[in-house]
Amino acid sequence: MLLAGGQGSRLHALTSHVAKPAVPFGGKYRIIDFPLSNCINSGIDTVGVLTQYRPLELNAYIGNGEPWDLDRSYGGVHVLPPYMREGEKGTWYKGTANAIYQNINFLETYDPEYVLILSGDHVYKMDYAQMLRRHKEAEAACTIAVLEVPMAEAPRFGIMNVDEKDDIYEFEEKPKKPKSNLASMGIYIFTWKKLREYLIADEADEKSANDFGKNIIPAMLDAGEKMTAYRFQGYWKDVGTIDSLWDANMDMLSPDNGIDLYDSEWPIFARTPIRPPHFMGRDAKVTHSMVTSGCEVYGTVENSVLFHSVVVEAGAAVRYSILMPGTVVKKGAVVEYAIVAEESVIGEDARVGASPDGSEDWGIAVVAQHLSVGPNAVVSPKAMITRNVKGGVVK
Amino acid sequence: MMNKLHGIIFAYLSNPGLRELTQHRNTCSIPYGGRYRIIDFMLSNMVNAGMSDVGLIVDANYQSLLDHVGSGKDWDLSRKHGGLRILPPFGYSAGKREGSYRGRMDALAGVRSYLQYIRQDYVVLAGGDLAVNLPLNDIFEAHVRNDADITAVCTSRPLGSPKDCDYFTIGAGGRITDVSVHPPIAQGCESLEVYILSKELLLSLVDHCAAHNIPSFSTGVLQGMVGQLKICPYVFDGYAARLQSVAGYFARSMDLLNPDVRADLFAPERPVRTKDRSDPSTYYGPGARSVNSLVADGCIIEGEVENSILFRGVRIEKGAKVSGCVLMQGTTIQAGAVLKYAITDKNVRVNPGRMLMGHNTYPLSIAKNEIV
Repeated sequence: MLLAGGQGSRLHALTSHVAKPAVPFGGKYRIIDFPLSNCINSGIDTVGVLTQYRPLELNAYIGNGEPWDLDRSYGGVHVLPPYMREGEKGTWYKGTANAIYQNINFLETYDPEYVLILSGDHVYKMDYAQMLRRHKEAEAACTIAVLEVPMAEAPRFGIMNVDEKDDIYEFEEKPKKPKSNLASMGIYIFTWKKLREYLIADEADEKSANDFGKNIIPAMLDAGEKMTAYRFQGYWKDVGTIDSLWDANMDMLSPDNGIDLYDSEWPIFARTPIRPPHFMGRDAKVTHSMVTSGCEVYGTVENSVLFHSVVVEAGAAVRYSILMPGTVVKKGAVVEYAIVAEESVIGEDARVGASPDGSEDWGIAVVAQHLSVGPNAVVSPKAMITRNVKGGVVK
Repeated sequence: MMNKLHGIIFAYLSNPGLRELTQHRNTCSIPYGGRYRIIDFMLSNMVNAGMSDVGLIVDANYQSLLDHVGSGKDWDLSRKHGGLRILPPFGYSAGKREGSYRGRMDALAGVRSYLQYIRQDYVVLAGGDLAVNLPLNDIFEAHVRNDADITAVCTSRPLGSPKDCDYFTIGAGGRITDVSVHPPIAQGCESLEVYILSKELLLSLVDHCAAHNIPSFSTGVLQGMVGQLKICPYVFDGYAARLQSVAGYFARSMDLLNPDVRADLFAPERPVRTKDRSDPSTYYGPGARSVNSLVADGCIIEGEVENSILFRGVRIEKGAKVSGCVLMQGTTIQAGAVLKYAITDKNVRVNPGRMLMGHNTYPLSIAKNEIV
């Protein structure tokens, strides 16, 4: 069960039209491609995707699940929005646990022994089958995937305190003085019968926030259920902020990032557009960058990720930036440390973003989708552009 | 209008001039343009014209083609009704036939039982060995407007070698008045061997030709019946590539570096569809240099590339230099190797430091899976 209803408000302009899981990532993907591909690569062929915020693009993207081999006559991918039931008012998904609660009927049709709960906003490769093995061996009611984080960063996470067998005895949400550095990755396996009981009990509690981390996990711990940790090693990134989204995209450029997109043993699948191969012009200079189909590059591109159908005209320069599908960088324009969303046009000799200068005001510049930045305009670092810019300096 | 057309692609054609490029495949499944097989163009032309039923006539050496087209889902041709049908020679009277089809009418007679159940009133006959982006709906409109028996698509731009092509003489009133089949020198408009005719006429022609042992559409129907049938030309002067020899394959590949050719062939309103491989993006390393080249996804380029076509999953290691080359899927050029005017077929590996050089007019061609 893939929780994909989040608005992703910390991605600001990038999620004004799409849900966070549908945000483009890594040149060819959307964030949701990672958990969906992990599912099929782990042998899971029945997936429910719970949607709520701005679902149109996400629904269209998932479609019948064909790109992930999830178009099945039994199972496959199901998009699960909240819905009305007879004799009661329909409600939105109130929290992560409530979203699953509202889909108990869906789960019962498949009568599963175990349920895997995922979120649609993390970039990682994980074999869920190994995690399930751990769950079965430990005979646990719940297994939580955990990642060792630097102790200094532990206060930002939900921290699991475990005994010598990695069984969890305590869960602390963003502890000021963490006792361990095992951070919850928001990936849970539950024995379905157990989870069902707790979901029903949680729903009956009017004070509950109906959230896995805040309510279900603590309730199960209090009741003395067997809870165990599954230690994950490898690349994992929550791409919930502009900075982390930018960082994670840059990580994809490093050959040793721990998430090899070129590994044919664990491919990440995506719905791909119908475009010809990309073309490099006579004066193109492209280094340490990713470029994909439909792009035409006549200028300079360094340390950047270009999505499909991006055009970089002659004399333009793109550095340390992410250009989402269909963006155009006109002659002489310079784009640095920026994210430019779909179909936006950066006019001739315009400047978007700048290199870090050590000041507090510096940050990644963002241009939202379908906008134009006029010729000679200057978009300052950390600016968040949500309207067309005709000219001048925009902070 | 949309669903009145049925497609038949002659996907059995094999061109001996392509030598090792057709050792493991027939001409229709030759890789072309960085991520395509040549048949993708005609399949896409048909799908882009709203056609939903397409039959591929195959004969021999079609394993690679089957692997490529699969169920037809990448062309939206995996359908409950109609869709893509692969047509091996199932209906042919046993014993009568030896070797491969002698011509298009021979091939059509081989699938006579399929033709009978075509749901549409009109049929497009086309080769699967032509890279072109045809506006089939316009051609069909012209066919209806002209009240033609057969509409034959042709070009005033010479493409192929005359001895492998047909030419039309267009007379007063815009009808084709004479047909030259494989003449020594070009005369008139060159046929693209794409035809529209009614299902009814097609069936009667198939029966007539079978009864009279006429295997060829060009000589038997076009040339033989030019007086009886109203055969109208449709002149298409956009880009078209016909692959007849290794040198020709190379030259037609290099055409793609011209933006006008790409604009013609990859017209956004009629996109060219192909099998999806879910490759990641292409990565250019810190020391990479890539200019005037067409590059597909999934490549890792750390060396230098110029004036080249790179297919999916090509690796160019550090210090390697590639110039004027066509490198097919999975080619690896190892550190320090130098390649000039070469065609490498799928999964070729060129070991470190090797130097290979062909000529612009006679490219070096390295067969599938070879290690240099």
